[in-house]
Amino acid sequence: MNTEEQEERPPLFKKWSTWYRLVIGSLVLLILFFYFLTKHFS
Amino acid sequence: MSRPDWIVLVLTLFAIIAYGLYKGRTSRDLDGYFLANRMVPWYMVLLGIMGTQASAVTFLSAPGQAYTDGMRFVQYYFGLPLAMVILCITFVPAFHRLKIYTAYEFLEQRFDLKTRTLTSFLFLLQRGLSTGISISAPSIILSSLLGWDIVWTNIFMGGLLIIYTVTGGAKAVAYTQQLQLIIIFGGMFVAGYMVVHRLPEGVGLSEALHIGGKAGKLNIITTGISEKGFNWNDRYNLFSGIIGGFFLALSYFGTDQSQVGRYLTAKSVSESRLGLLMNGLVKVPMQFLILLLGVLVFAFYQFNPEPVFFNQSQLDLLARSKYKDSLVILEKAYGETEKTRLQTTSLTRQQLQEIASAKAGYRSTLKRWLNDKEVGGDDNDTNYIFLRFVMDYLPRGLIGLLIAVIFLAAWGSIAATLNSLSSCTIVDFHKRYSKPLSQEKEFQFSRIYTFFWGVFCVAVAQLAYNLGNSLIEAVNVLGSLFYGVILGIFLVAFYRKRIGGTAVFISAIITEALVILLNVLGRKGIISLSFLWFNVVGAAGVMLLSELIQFFSSKLNTRHKD
Repeated sequence: MNTEEQEERPPLFKKWSTWYRLVIGSLVLLILFFYFLTKHFS
Repeated sequence: MSRPDWIVLVLTLFAIIAYGLYKGRTSRDLDGYFLANRMVPWYMVLLGIMGTQASAVTFLSAPGQAYTDGMRFVQYYFGLPLAMVILCITFVPAFHRLKIYTAYEFLEQRFDLKTRTLTSFLFLLQRGLSTGISISAPSIILSSLLGWDIVWTNIFMGGLLIIYTVTGGAKAVAYTQQLQLIIIFGGMFVAGYMVVHRLPEGVGLSEALHIGGKAGKLNIITTGISEKGFNWNDRYNLFSGIIGGFFLALSYFGTDQSQVGRYLTAKSVSESRLGLLMNGLVKVPMQFLILLLGVLVFAFYQFNPEPVFFNQSQLDLLARSKYKDSLVILEKAYGETEKTRLQTTSLTRQQLQEIASAKAGYRSTLKRWLNDKEVGGDDNDTNYIFLRFVMDYLPRGLIGLLIAVIFLAAWGSIAATLNSLSSCTIVDFHKRYSKPLSQEKEFQFSRIYTFFWGVFCVAVAQLAYNLGNSLIEAVNVLGSLFYGVILGIFLVAFYRKRIGGTAVFISAIITEALVILLNVLGRKGIISLSFLWFNVVGAAGVMLLSELIQFFSSKLNTRHKD
């Protein structure tokens, strides 16, 4: 494995795509949480 | 401001300058000055990105926005995490692989010199002017609230940071942004704690949220859909936030050198990616908390006298106008209404509605007077709400800290922008269009250009104050008009490999004309389209048109050969 490939390896996960899914998943959860807050306090 | 406030303010500002000078020592070449020798770790990339995006107005305006319009503004940021993912997949590896200094260098390698020069010029024009406005906006608020001289406020807001930005370049910017954000978040957290602490006994965070919710301030998710269908002119809803916000964030973080310059300083592609992805994770919750502060301030004023108008300087203006006698009567009547509201323990729903309606009537009358051409006032006091609360209710020392927060938020954003304006000037214009320079000369010119742009921005800030709202509005419109088209150019560069420079250049000019036309039609009331959609139209327009132009020019070339 060359240096560039080693550099590309993300921390914590094996692939960067897991990081991307985490970011998008957290956005979906946040929107659901905000929807709950909006309904609960309206 | 009291003496302790002044001490806290002055010490904080000088500490930042000293820290910037100390940490900003770097190699005397372009790599050191603009890219911090590509040695910055991911968490500093993250703080740099956040510090560049969050200007002083973010911290002044957002709580006021939640106070008046509710928390739906947070939806504006919903497209940002998605944009971070696209940037990590496409933009970041390409920029790092080519070892470029500015995003626009990439366009010459992909298309041609004219496309690079056009986009870099648009960036310099738009960013140079808008940075002047981002100095002017908080300066006007502070000078009218504290009675400071506007020229000196502008110089302190936009001038002092020039010292460390000129000396230490990107490295000084990165280190100071780190410290600035720690102080800013600390200050805002203490302010939030103090609002809850000052609520009456028996009223805590949960009760404050219920009060805000009952008044419609916790309208975090809205769809913009009514019986009449989707409202295209509604700025902040789920759909405009995800789609329009995505295009805006993609163009801002992917094509604006003030942001690209931050993640180009990273040690590696991984460090850049991690910084951007973390921004995607924390930006929406951060903005949510800043807006929540506005709801808490709203709840606080349900138990305390609320000013009839939060910008005292405008009331002073009316007191010197033909409305001075009417103002006295109005303020007295308003005071009586507030007294009734606060002293009566059990008001019926109808009584509360009557009081709210009376208060709205007083404010509306005041606004009408301020809009009178003879008075020439400003009827929008949203940006003054949070600071007015700080000045009236927070303890000594803390006021100084929160004023310092405003300065630091402005400095972090302006310093990064000056660094990027300078990098584009030397790399995209000076070096590209003149004879080769020695490393030392390049370094010296970079410093000179940083200084020049600093002075230019302070001058624009002063001009904005003298010309009033007309220049501020013009500059704000300017940004939303160009962003989409520039993004379209970059998207074609990344995703449509067979499209050439001439096709994309012509389509950019035509689409820009179309976006300007839409803006003019919107201003005349012929169409109804919120500015966030301009980014979508601009980006999609360039992509579609360049595809068509390339297709027909290929056909023509084939026929010509036959």
